[in-house]
Amino acid sequence: MPKTGLRTRIFLLFLVVSIGGLMVLNNVFQSKHANIHEALEVMELSGHLREIRQYSHEDSLKAQALMHNFNEAKAVVNIALSDSRMMSSVVLLIIIVASTVIFLIVLSRISKPLRELKNATDQIRQGNFSVHMPETGIPEMRELKGSFNVMSRELEAVQNRLLVAEKEMIWKDLSRILAHEIKNPLTPIQLAIQRLEERLETDPERVKDILRESISIITQEIENLRLLAQDFSNYAKVNQPALEPLNPASSIREIVKSYVQDFEIILELDEDLQINFDKTHFYQIITNILQNAIDACEEPKPINIRLYRERSFAVLSIKDEGKGIESADLQRIFEPYFSKKNKGTGLGLALVKKLCDANSTIIRVKSKPGEGSEFILIIEALNQ
Amino acid sequence: MFEALGAKLLTGVVSLSMLLFSSFQGNDPSLGNLSYSKTGSYVHLRAQLQTAFENDFPSIFASGSEIPVHYNLEVKSGGNVMIKRRVVHKVSYDPTTGVYQIFKNGSRTAFTESAEQVKRELSAFEYALPYQHSWGVVTVKLEADLPKVHFAQLKKEVDLMVLWKYKKPSIKAQIDLRRDS
Repeated sequence: MPKTGLRTRIFLLFLVVSIGGLMVLNNVFQSKHANIHEALEVMELSGHLREIRQYSHEDSLKAQALMHNFNEAKAVVNIALSDSRMMSSVVLLIIIVASTVIFLIVLSRISKPLRELKNATDQIRQGNFSVHMPETGIPEMRELKGSFNVMSRELEAVQNRLLVAEKEMIWKDLSRILAHEIKNPLTPIQLAIQRLEERLETDPERVKDILRESISIITQEIENLRLLAQDFSNYAKVNQPALEPLNPASSIREIVKSYVQDFEIILELDEDLQINFDKTHFYQIITNILQNAIDACEEPKPINIRLYRERSFAVLSIKDEGKGIESADLQRIFEPYFSKKNKGTGLGLALVKKLCDANSTIIRVKSKPGEGSEFILIIEALNQ
Repeated sequence: MFEALGAKLLTGVVSLSMLLFSSFQGNDPSLGNLSYSKTGSYVHLRAQLQTAFENDFPSIFASGSEIPVHYNLEVKSGGNVMIKRRVVHKVSYDPTTGVYQIFKNGSRTAFTESAEQVKRELSAFEYALPYQHSWGVVTVKLEADLPKVHFAQLKKEVDLMVLWKYKKPSIKAQIDLRRDS
């Protein structure tokens, strides 16, 4: 059953109370008039006077005038009563039509700004705080719109302040992480250079002995810096996915090829499943989760990758037997810069979440400290 | 045109309001049975006013004042008005004798003690209309109305149309005067 609007309810109330009241009043009025009319009909004088035969001439004239007067009065009252009964119903009809029209106009003048206010509130709800209403209409509405405008201006100002604060906080966090991450490789580079300088000053003949080792350290740390830059760059530029039909089983086999030499990876894959996914994004997601699983294991332990169909979805599970994640941290693992590892920017899993969202994929994590973690991807499978 | 439109609007409003909000019956007059016959250079027109005097009128007729009923006749040929006449029937009552005196178009007078006969006489319209063959097909329009009546004893004027709910009954017909009957 459709919900009755406020306007309809007010209108029905008006009809019942105002017009209903008028109709009851009219009914009472009409019935009283009918009673008078009936009483008038039975009033009779002429017949009785005619029956009295013994008039003097003078009395006869008086009786005639009396009868004439009485009959005229009866006729006039009769017509006046009829006129009154008819006019009262006409006036009632006019009052009802006019009051209904006036009521609807007033109601529309109240409800239209309310509708505008609702639309403006909807815009505020959607985050558009710049919406302002023209302060027009009846005084109460002008006041209400004015208050609304003040509220929207204040909300806009608060939003702007929050945005500035948020940006500042992001920059602070980013600067802190960048400083920390850049400082880590710079220290070994600086130490390697200092050792080379010392050797050059103290024993130039034997510089060669430590040169290779120092170059190796410097090269390794430069590579770490490059990877760091790569991570930030990847996170910043997640593009719109270029969706294409993909066989996840064969992609997973390709990805794990470079890991199987050093790690035990057990595959249990449904080879027939097909999904719609950005190929590069799929590669980034799997390598990040896999790397996370490898990092979680302090000693070599098997990693299980399982791909299977569940209803109309392809479910991909990557399970390790590593140290697991504390339940308090589970909520935060997809936040940027959140990391419990000694090495890492905290952008890996944040990137995974971002890529999953871009490809309409649900990602879930189950983990128990000391037992390991399981990352589950739920992807819509293509009909075959 | 606006007058006719206004009259129709008024009649509509009155009828609707009476229907919705009033127990007042009044009268709903209509004109019917319009017929004609030709004798020599005259057309005898006849019509009947129906349900015009059922309620309230007996006491009005018995008021002693003269109560007229107007019949307005209009004959048109090719859009031109050929004849326009007002035929007036009247009734007056003598309370001392209890007799009604009926005047029909100022030409005939009847006496009666019966209010029913008064109704019958006032409701019957008859008129001998002089015509010319050259008029061809004519449109005859007949309309009835009640005037305002002055009650001398009370020095009061009242509009009798109230009793007809401001509705003027009318009838229209086309007559071919070239035909024999």
